[in-house]
Amino acid sequence: MKMRMFTARFEIPRTFYTKLVLLATLLLFCAVQSIDAQQKLSKRYPVSKNVRIELKNISGTITVESWNRDEIKLTALLDSPKANLSPRQTSEALIVDVMADNRGRDVGDVNFKLQVPANSSVDLETMRGQITVSNIRGGLVRAHVTSEGDIELIGIGAQTVSAQNNIGNIFYDGEICRGGTYRFQSSKGEITINIPADSAFNLEAAASNKKIALGQFWNDGIKSFGEGRKVVGDVGDGRARMFVMNFQGSITFRRR
Amino acid sequence: MNCEKCQDLISDLIDGSLSQRDQSTLNSHLEECLDCGSVRSDLQSLVGFCHTQRGQHDAPPNEKTLWLRIRNVIESEARSVAAASVPAGRGSWTNWLSRSWELSFPQLAASAAAIVLIVSLSTAVGLRRWQSGGTVSAPSREGMTLSASAANVRSRVSQQQQSIAYWNQRVEFNKARWNPQMRETFDRNLKVIDEAVNDSLDTLSRSPHDEVSEEMLNTALNEKLSLLREFAQL
Repeated sequence: MKMRMFTARFEIPRTFYTKLVLLATLLLFCAVQSIDAQQKLSKRYPVSKNVRIELKNISGTITVESWNRDEIKLTALLDSPKANLSPRQTSEALIVDVMADNRGRDVGDVNFKLQVPANSSVDLETMRGQITVSNIRGGLVRAHVTSEGDIELIGIGAQTVSAQNNIGNIFYDGEICRGGTYRFQSSKGEITINIPADSAFNLEAAASNKKIALGQFWNDGIKSFGEGRKVVGDVGDGRARMFVMNFQGSITFRRR
Repeated sequence: MNCEKCQDLISDLIDGSLSQRDQSTLNSHLEECLDCGSVRSDLQSLVGFCHTQRGQHDAPPNEKTLWLRIRNVIESEARSVAAASVPAGRGSWTNWLSRSWELSFPQLAASAAAIVLIVSLSTAVGLRRWQSGGTVSAPSREGMTLSASAANVRSRVSQQQQSIAYWNQRVEFNKARWNPQMRETFDRNLKVIDEAVNDSLDTLSRSPHDEVSEEMLNTALNEKLSLLREFAQL
């Protein structure tokens, strides 16, 4: 009787382990297939310190961060093996145009990661997908999402900054340079501007739903129009210019 | 024959164009009627004088001076009539406008150059204003810098709608190639922009001179155009 019971208890785990091993093998196979389907491209480009990077994507994320080297490292994960990617390097710029390289073809997502010198100018566009730029201090930082995707610009010190999307949040954390131009625009999303307390700029901000919160940057010189849908005025001595517009979301200023 | 008929025919009688019969009837009436006889005598003497003085007239002693005098009299009378009809304070302006200008060639050339310069400058300024109408206005220290004319808004919207219709066609043509995810993304984003456009149009229909809504509408239409244009390139 005891022997029977022992046999019965042994056979149940054996079946279970067999199934587990089969499942693990299947999962491993699927993972390998997935890695094979997603192509990875990685390339380095020696450049000068003040290089310009132009990237035009169709769909996918773009991440740009600075590093302490005079070269650009471009890494791209391509969903589709049919996708073409032909970066062009000139004396002043590195140009990647997924749109032009794949016109009229469905190439799925292409996710980019770029490591660039801190003084680079970056001009990034995508039809759809998130854009993140961090610690760039060149002349220009431009992030444009035609349809939907969040934009995060962190640790920026550029003279000209432009962030625009249709659906998605925009977060700017950086300096306001003297004489610079800063433009943020969204149709549906939250715009948050995180800047130093002593920032000086001429502001023109408009939000259809009147959700404009200037926080400590509000002063008596700022005038309100259209029953609070638009504010115009100088913060500090107005050395830079800032335009912010949001159709269905809020605009919030915060002290850095 | 009565007197009226007789006096009608006297002129023909003097000219000798009457028939023999009419002539004898008329003469018999003239012999009996003294009034008609005196009319014939007067007319005969006038016709006779004209025949004898034909082609001759007395010329004035200085014809040119006479015409100048007549012209001066007419002009002075016309000026006095005009001064009487124009209200005080506007006479000099009317005179300045109505006076005749006699310019030398260099004066004429300088005037033409000045007119060309003014027209060019005003055209350039007009064009710049018109071009700036399609973009977000730059901030001004005084506040808003937007057109207040509702007619301008309607005209701009109409122009934008034509471009939008064109790019919409292009998008519809290419849409079949997109994957379902991209189609959904496009539709969702177009809906958001259309909501922004309609919100602004609603506000403008309630208050046509609302400058903030005008600016929002302008930007939303530009955004719609931009979205269509970029998706049409896919």
